Amino acid sequence: MTEQEILIVDDVSKTFQVKAGEVKAVDHASFAARHGSVTTIVGPSGSGKTTLLYVIGSLEKPESGRIEVAGRDILAPGADLVSYRRENIGFVFQFFNLVPTLTALENVMLPMDLDGIPPAEQRRRATELLEKMGVEGRLLKAHPNKMSGGENQRVAIARSLANDPDIILADEPTGNLDTATGRVVVEILTGLARKEGKCVLMVTHDESILEVSDRAFHMTDGILGEIAA
Amino acid sequence: MRSFHRGFRSFRRNYARNIVVVVLLFVCLTFSMSMLAVKLAADNQVNTIKQEVGNYGEIEISSAYQLKQFQAERTKTAAERQAEARSMSTAQEQANRVADLVPETLTDQFAKDNYVKTYDKVLQTNVTLSDITNTSIQQLFQIRQGDSGGPGGTSSNTNSFTFAGNTDGSAASDFTTGAKKLVSGKQFTYSDYQNANPVVVIEKNLASDNKLTVGDTIEAQISGGSGSQSYVQLKVIGIYETVQAQTQSGSSSGGGGGGSSQSFNPTGNTFYAPLSVVQKLNATPGYVQLGSYYFDSVDDTAALKVTFKKETVTTSSKYQFATDLSDYQTIADPLLKARNTSMIGLAGALGACALIILLAMVIIISGRTRELGILKAIGSTDRQVISQFAFEVVCICLVAIILAMGATALIGQSLGNWILPKTTKTATTQTQTQAQGGPPGMTGGPGTQNKLYKEGTSFNAAASTQKTQAAKLNVVYRGPLFLYGILILLGLSLLGMAIPLVWITRLRPARVLSME
Repeated sequence: MTEQEILIVDDVSKTFQVKAGEVKAVDHASFAARHGSVTTIVGPSGSGKTTLLYVIGSLEKPESGRIEVAGRDILAPGADLVSYRRENIGFVFQFFNLVPTLTALENVMLPMDLDGIPPAEQRRRATELLEKMGVEGRLLKAHPNKMSGGENQRVAIARSLANDPDIILADEPTGNLDTATGRVVVEILTGLARKEGKCVLMVTHDESILEVSDRAFHMTDGILGEIAA
Repeated sequence: MRSFHRGFRSFRRNYARNIVVVVLLFVCLTFSMSMLAVKLAADNQVNTIKQEVGNYGEIEISSAYQLKQFQAERTKTAAERQAEARSMSTAQEQANRVADLVPETLTDQFAKDNYVKTYDKVLQTNVTLSDITNTSIQQLFQIRQGDSGGPGGTSSNTNSFTFAGNTDGSAASDFTTGAKKLVSGKQFTYSDYQNANPVVVIEKNLASDNKLTVGDTIEAQISGGSGSQSYVQLKVIGIYETVQAQTQSGSSSGGGGGGSSQSFNPTGNTFYAPLSVVQKLNATPGYVQLGSYYFDSVDDTAALKVTFKKETVTTSSKYQFATDLSDYQTIADPLLKARNTSMIGLAGALGACALIILLAMVIIISGRTRELGILKAIGSTDRQVISQFAFEVVCICLVAIILAMGATALIGQSLGNWILPKTTKTATTQTQTQAQGGPPGMTGGPGTQNKLYKEGTSFNAAASTQKTQAAKLNVVYRGPLFLYGILILLGLSLLGMAIPLVWITRLRPARVLSME
């Protein structure tokens, strides 16, 4: 690992048991990503992109391999995965996955609340993040069902930044948005990498995102292959 | 604390769904709490009744033995009886005298049982007082003789008085029931009984008619005795009044109809004296009419009957241990039935509550699977998520139970009445009939077989009223109801938490979040 490499994925494999037998969702995948970089994985549906993202985010456990984040082996026995998710990872999902009963502001405050940050500080930081994402005014108190897809995704990005993580894992962030809005969201995510030094890892169908990526991979049947610049 | 806050916020925000659960729970909890209130009220009243009724018993000559003796006597002619009386030795005479009495050794032995709380011995007999005349009875006889037009002396009847003896004057049933009350002087004491002090308490009208006051002395003849040794000088230490005599005197004077101020007092010929003195006058030392016992509770009746059976195994069926168990049953049975019904209702309603909360939580949790996945994905521990949902469940149950407690206060009594009514009326009627049954008299006498010594010999209206009142079910809020409410709340909440607990620990966020 070089000094700037925040994420190292080394020979990771994940298999699912299905009725027809075994499906190798991730097959010996290896790559590394640095601070301030945008890494994109493209590939068809069912190729294992999301599974790899979830493995990195510790939502799935691989059979083999090593994942190192900020020098910490997250697959080591006894690793505190909850605090890892809380401190090192920010998730952005295709379907936003905001809590429907909470307002935009409360959704962004939620990860901080789970982390024990005082309410006043939560509110200040959440407002700041939402304003940075272009969500302000009455939208702060709007519930997800009262906001557009783009607004929801901005709120989701703001939430992923709530605890100032090193890595943003974005699963099809533009998949549920129109082209223009999708472009704005991609700009926001790349901006996080360029301006704030976040390591942004996106999986997508949208090959146009490759243009803004520092590194790009193609995934087919669980096998990861780097796309030449 | 934050989890609780999140739980409460979630409870507020999901109000439409939660209201449905709260309403369902409210209905079942109201029924549960009302049933519980009825049960607690019934328990409480049964316990109160147990302190007053069912905890009394007495050892006396059995009615079967009395009947047998009566039938044996009936077969004899008057001549045979006279011949038998003439040919009796002194020992036979004494045996004949105590044939219908209970030996003190038996009553004393029985009193040693651990369940027995208080013990008294009673003997009642007729004693001739040549210096005293019962003027009321004399007048009655005169009226009757006037009607029939026949001659006849009444001196032997009007000089014969009833002497009731026990170990402590203040514990005599007529005084404890309120049928009679001391108006001057004092009662004889346990010490008077132990020392066989010749003292006596007499009736007010009788004292007045015979110009007797406290401190005066009267002469009583020992039964079967002759000569100067056969008399006992009794000192009057107290004067009593019967409650009915007092009432009659009050109503006749207040009536303004010119009625006589003199009242008929049918119990005016009863003297109260220490048991040892009455035994002496009756010439039956060591024998009593009955042993009177109060024990801890009606629940001890069976054990005491076993003890009694053991102690009277050699005397066959001559003695009986009569209790007021049937009185207790008459009064308490409707309440016990109401309690049992309420228990069934309570079990059913609580079962329904359990089902509702389980089903509600299954529906709530399955509808919020994505939220659970999100919470776990953004770094929430299982404990935090479980606490949040647990608090939501507590809020649902708490609101339902608070409403249910309020509703219980409104409908508890109606539900109690609905469970109780028919049986209560029956019990009240039976009790009144029993209390009024038979002429005033001593225990074991004809027509008074159901009457126990503790009920007094006459005019015991107070006891009847007490029983009638006790048979009503008063459903009121009690401390235990609140505590049980909290327990039900905790139980339901814990049950409701079981679903989120299982669901959350088994949930895999990756699966949930991948779903559209």
